[in-house]
Amino acid sequence: MNRALDFVRDRSGFEMILIGLSAVYLFLFAGAPFVFNVLMSFQKVDLFNIASIDRPFVGFANYQKILANPDFWLIVRNTVVFVALSSVCQLAGGFALALFFMQDFAGASWLRGLFLAAWITPGYAIGQVWKWMLAGDTGIANYFLRSLHIIDGPVYWLSDPSLALLTITFVNVWLGIPFYLLLISVGLSAIPRDLYEAAELDGANAVQRFCGITLPLMRDTLLALVALGAILTLQQFDLIAALTAGGPVNSSNVAQFWSWQLSFQSYQIGLGSAVSVLMLLVVVVIASIYVAATRSERAA
Amino acid sequence: MMRRTIPTLIAVALLGFYLFPIYWMYATSFKTLTEAVQYPPTLWPSEPQFHHAEVFQKFSVARYFVNSIVITLGVTAITVVVGTGTAYALALRRNLFVDLILFTILLLQALPASLMVTPLFVLFNMAGLLNTPRFAVVLAVAAKSLPFFIVICRTAFLQIPRELRDAALVDGNSNVGVFFNIALPLARNSIVVTAVLIAIQTMGEYVYSRSFIAKIELQPLTLGLSNFIGAQQTDWIGIMTFASILVTPILIVFIFLQRRIISGLTAGALK
Amino acid sequence: MNQVELSAVEKHYGEYHALRNIDLSIPEGAFVALIGPSGCGKSTLLRSIAGLEQISSGTISIAGERVNDVPPRRRDVAMVFQSYALYPHMDVERNMTYSLRLRRRSADLIAAAVREAAATLNLSGLLGRYPRELSGGQRQRVAMGRAIVRHPKVFLFDEPLSNLDAELRVKMRGEVRALHERLGATSIYVTHDQIEAMTMADHIVVLKAGRIEQQGPPLALYDRPANRFVAGFIGSPSINFIEGAVTADGGHVTWEGLERPLSLGRRLSAAQRVQIGLRPEHLAVATDGTMAMVVDTIERTGSQTIILGRCGGQPMTVIDHGRPVLARGDNLRLAVAPDHIHLFDPDSGAAV
Repeated sequence: MNRALDFVRDRSGFEMILIGLSAVYLFLFAGAPFVFNVLMSFQKVDLFNIASIDRPFVGFANYQKILANPDFWLIVRNTVVFVALSSVCQLAGGFALALFFMQDFAGASWLRGLFLAAWITPGYAIGQVWKWMLAGDTGIANYFLRSLHIIDGPVYWLSDPSLALLTITFVNVWLGIPFYLLLISVGLSAIPRDLYEAAELDGANAVQRFCGITLPLMRDTLLALVALGAILTLQQFDLIAALTAGGPVNSSNVAQFWSWQLSFQSYQIGLGSAVSVLMLLVVVVIASIYVAATRSERAA
Repeated sequence: MMRRTIPTLIAVALLGFYLFPIYWMYATSFKTLTEAVQYPPTLWPSEPQFHHAEVFQKFSVARYFVNSIVITLGVTAITVVVGTGTAYALALRRNLFVDLILFTILLLQALPASLMVTPLFVLFNMAGLLNTPRFAVVLAVAAKSLPFFIVICRTAFLQIPRELRDAALVDGNSNVGVFFNIALPLARNSIVVTAVLIAIQTMGEYVYSRSFIAKIELQPLTLGLSNFIGAQQTDWIGIMTFASILVTPILIVFIFLQRRIISGLTAGALK
Repeated sequence: MNQVELSAVEKHYGEYHALRNIDLSIPEGAFVALIGPSGCGKSTLLRSIAGLEQISSGTISIAGERVNDVPPRRRDVAMVFQSYALYPHMDVERNMTYSLRLRRRSADLIAAAVREAAATLNLSGLLGRYPRELSGGQRQRVAMGRAIVRHPKVFLFDEPLSNLDAELRVKMRGEVRALHERLGATSIYVTHDQIEAMTMADHIVVLKAGRIEQQGPPLALYDRPANRFVAGFIGSPSINFIEGAVTADGGHVTWEGLERPLSLGRRLSAAQRVQIGLRPEHLAVATDGTMAMVVDTIERTGSQTIILGRCGGQPMTVIDHGRPVLARGDNLRLAVAPDHIHLFDPDSGAAV
């Protein structure tokens, strides 16, 4: 007993306990469900057998059903567009704003920080605000665009199947920009000032300094940020639930929302977990890219 | 002088344009029904109305609020109690084992709630946890926020010099004593700020609550909002009023802790 | 009885062999300096004595008790760190009393210990301050105070003066030494600064690549370095090395056309190749000198003149205590005292 106590107090026992606490918790509520999910994706799971452990195995039937779904490729395409377009636009917007805020002016860092106010509000609530702003007949967005003569009549941003996906992507970009702004600013301020001064003495103009110094030195940061942005966009659920719920007729549906709909609205839990497994694999790949990018950034 | 004020003015304009939706939420919540749907819309409510008290009472916002607070406190408590020690232990040394754990934690942080909700629902159902649905939500959300908390607090513990820990050991502390007497007091601010950040996120949590909590009496504010929309469809004034009741406390906390939240976020994401 | 006794201590970090077969006996009350270049293992050795590192094999004893498996808190040693490692969230008084409070000493005893230490170190007016409100020198004294209130069996110092500016460092050198003389406690002092070691310690241990190269009283190391490394490490400016050989009769050494008798009391094997060590302070500028030198650079400190140049092809440094009028390219004659010639084996580096 005494020896065990000494092991905790003076050897690595205490660290093991501290790490063990989280390890057990995360195993129970993240690791095990993750594995269980894979298991379920090979089973027939519905409302009748949901409470029992013994469920029939159906091989790849769930996956076959998913692939055979007429909307499968639409949703894959939507997901790719949603994630890729969001990441690129968030990065570009965040970079532009970050460069602007790198100038030395009164209140720069305080004003920059206030952008985060949008990021911190609940996605479901801010999604409702956007839904109201984008309403076809009474929304202020259409009013602004019509006063500027960009559009002639009301545009139905959320109920027009050809626009719905682009609209939720736009709102998601809006929501994600502050996060990019913040992290890119950190990366930019890590570049030593005297590099720019030296380049300026060497006769490089602003564009040359940007391409010759800023971009190369930010490369790993940007890669990490694109991966991180993709991860955050793949986690986006609340906005979609608030704005379109995937509609109209799946035109703005993405995989993470579809998986939830299958499980919790049509109760085809086996199908929901099959979609979930496929998407989780994608997430794991992107997260690995993110980790690799942050490593090489540290090494540099 | 001009060189320094013009960018500030541009920045204020950008920020105002960017945060317009938040303004519009408040502006709408103070309008009359006719003014809200009138075309062209008015930017400023002409006869400000105060709907908040009415919505608060008629739609049992207090009850939703209590549920939100219960869930938030539960998630924050579990995260801080379980995560703080782990963050400390992972900051003590750097080796292959620690790298492996950090990698796993980053992976877990990346798993979307909307994808994990299916297996968690089935598992919790089998374990009977859905009979106490708020507790089930707390368990699930804490598993999501724990990795985030560990990553950020670890960077706070990394800033404590190794010699300080050595000095404490030589002075007569055990490893347990070093953690409680030296590391915890020094990292206290970061722990509190990260906990607040977790609490803010939990206040806006939607997926797990929507999927696990069927009983209206146990649902949090976000679901209250969605119930309200279900019942009142296009009552935009009511919806904006309800939304502002949910958003305002979060914004107030954010404004007070802005600087600290930002430095916490930036430390965690790229290190 | 020896207060600290190390025998056959080894330390590995994975592939890296940090300490190799360390044997060291430190008598009670001694002031021992561990010196060597960075990475030589001196800090690892000190941390092993403190219990902050686990040794791979061998034994460490403190006051006769084997402490290999005793955690730092039970070894009764106090340590002063390079960064001072003051607890930022405690004021000076609580920093100094922390160890006593952990040992649940009585309030009276704690108060008395603080009073005494504060008076000794001139800290009485600072007890309510926090470390961030102190200057570097004050922090250093608080770190010392934290160690002395405990009356430990052994004091361990890990480069405690290297964060101070040059002037303060010289002043604190004297204070630490005076403190040691008053308290009479066993002290082990790690430094990379050989002047610190020479001026403060009774016994110096020179380490290189995890091994003890030589140990002994400061002047013994200066007068009789066991090898080329120790000769080069001790003394400032560094000793000059030039290539030479033993004459056919075995009683003289020859270099650059010069021949000097050997005063070893023994003969060496004839025509053996040797490296000759000549300390700059043992060479003198003299018109009747026998060694020719061409001047490259002159450094004047006021009290002395350091002349850097070449003898034949080999670099040479000379200290002159006057103020000779010299310029780059001048030719000098140097006198060499035969008693102060060190000889080393050119292959092993060991003294011959």
